Amino acid sequence: MSSSKKSSDGKSSEIEEAVASLTMPFNKILLTSSDGESFEIDEAVARKFQIIAHMIEDDCAGKAIPIDNVTGDILSKIIEYAKKHVVEPDEDEDEEAKKKLDSWDAKFVEKLDLETIFKIILAANYLNFEGLLGFASQTVADYIKDKTPEEVREIFNIENDFTPEEEEAIRKENAWTFNG
Amino acid sequence: MSLKSILRDLKEVRDGLGGISKRSWSKSSHIAPDQTTPPLENIPQSPWASLPPELLHDIIRRVEESETAWPARAAVVSCASVCKSWRGITMEIVRIPEQCGKLTFPISLKQPGPRDSPIQCFIKRNRATATYILYYGLMPSETENDKLLLAARRIRRATCTDFIISLSAKNFSRSSSTYVGKLRSGFLGTKFTIYDNQTSSSTAQGQPNRRLHPKQAAPKLPANSSTVGNVTYELNVLRTRGPRRMHCTMDSIPLSSVIAEPLVVPGIEEEVSSSPSPKGETSTTDREVPDITPGLRDQPLVLKNKSPRWHEQLQCWCLNFKGRVTVASVKNFQLVADIDASLDAPPEEHERVILQFGKIGKDIFTMDYRYPLSAFQAFAICISSFDTKPACEG
Repeated sequence: MSSSKKSSDGKSSEIEEAVASLTMPFNKILLTSSDGESFEIDEAVARKFQIIAHMIEDDCAGKAIPIDNVTGDILSKIIEYAKKHVVEPDEDEDEEAKKKLDSWDAKFVEKLDLETIFKIILAANYLNFEGLLGFASQTVADYIKDKTPEEVREIFNIENDFTPEEEEAIRKENAWTFNG
Repeated sequence: MSLKSILRDLKEVRDGLGGISKRSWSKSSHIAPDQTTPPLENIPQSPWASLPPELLHDIIRRVEESETAWPARAAVVSCASVCKSWRGITMEIVRIPEQCGKLTFPISLKQPGPRDSPIQCFIKRNRATATYILYYGLMPSETENDKLLLAARRIRRATCTDFIISLSAKNFSRSSSTYVGKLRSGFLGTKFTIYDNQTSSSTAQGQPNRRLHPKQAAPKLPANSSTVGNVTYELNVLRTRGPRRMHCTMDSIPLSSVIAEPLVVPGIEEEVSSSPSPKGETSTTDREVPDITPGLRDQPLVLKNKSPRWHEQLQCWCLNFKGRVTVASVKNFQLVADIDASLDAPPEEHERVILQFGKIGKDIFTMDYRYPLSAFQAFAICISSFDTKPACEG
């Protein structure tokens, strides 16, 4: 995978794209992030992103595809995950491979902060990359499930918009929930 | 901070500014801005607040699906307590116990259990304080962090005995929001009446515009009629040391809830109420309902205890508790619907055990209940079994 910084002049980048698509090897797709990073990936990997898979089907993808909604750092993480998951091992047939992949997944997400995971969720949703979207969403779910409402509000910077009456009723409900 | 993270931070700054200023800055101004990286905490608008609702829905759904048993299920209630949008989404996701077999909010205790298999709980008795506590789970766990569902305390009065039922083991005041209902025994101790409290929890108040999806868990406690039902114990007909007979008349549950098996078709709208809706009215495709007068169908459901069999070799009365009861006790029972033979209900309805209660150890009893009973009703009935009844023991 090559990552090249494009020049910021609009016109020359178009020409660059055109040149890139002519000179690119067969079965390779070039993705360009919103901030100008380019990623050359195998078609098989690109097909993990349903919107791109559809473009390839409809033959309306040039070989270079701009991904306007996603920045380079996030796109690179997504591609890294996609490459590992091009072939999903069947749990029944190859338990060993599944275990290895699960372990890789765990390490992959361990290094990411919540902010990055959020961006990955949005990007995976945009690209329609179901596997990563599910995985990232599950990671967030696992993260919040042992947190109190106050902690969740703090982490996600959410405002408590209940009325005082609602707040009181919820407090009573929670008295049973948390202390019994 | 590692070099990698510094570079990452700088990248974020550049990205952030690039995003905001696409309109005003041209791409040729590649100069790094002359300011320090703004710490994430100072960003006023959290990106999480802009998470599309369907993605938030998926995250909360995953929490609900993975945290099915207590105490982990508290996570679902947490989600419902974060803010209005989270609460709305959580309420859409959580189903009533009848449909999912899980207890989530306090209101779940007054909603009918599932039809297919019972919700399994146990009761711990504390003789010293005359307190009975209902816990969720098969039996007391090793770690002793079982979820308390309901608690009851016996209060002997001049002419009767009351069992106050509460959401908290520490508060049995009838004026408290924890008060759920009570069981009152008559003078002879052979007839008990179950009362539901009149107050409705205010969780749903202040949200008049919230549409109640028929299958969601409505948090508001319904304003039921005060009397839920009654339990009577009778001497064994043979007046020997035989098992006593029990009858429970459930005023709030119509007989029609157990007659006429509905064909479960997805998408059927059911009434949101704590008393079970009559089966015949919820399905448009149920099998032919026997031609009985409406008056008969609306009669209160009566439960009776299943007659045990006499085991000649063991010389005792036996019931098949399916392993959930292991100690013989006169308090043990299984309740089935008392349906008149003329009503032509399916045979399995006569045999289906709706409530099972029995001893498994010193001061520990199991309680398994299912549709159309709720946890509260089941608990109240079981408590009646604790009160000593010299009049009906041979």
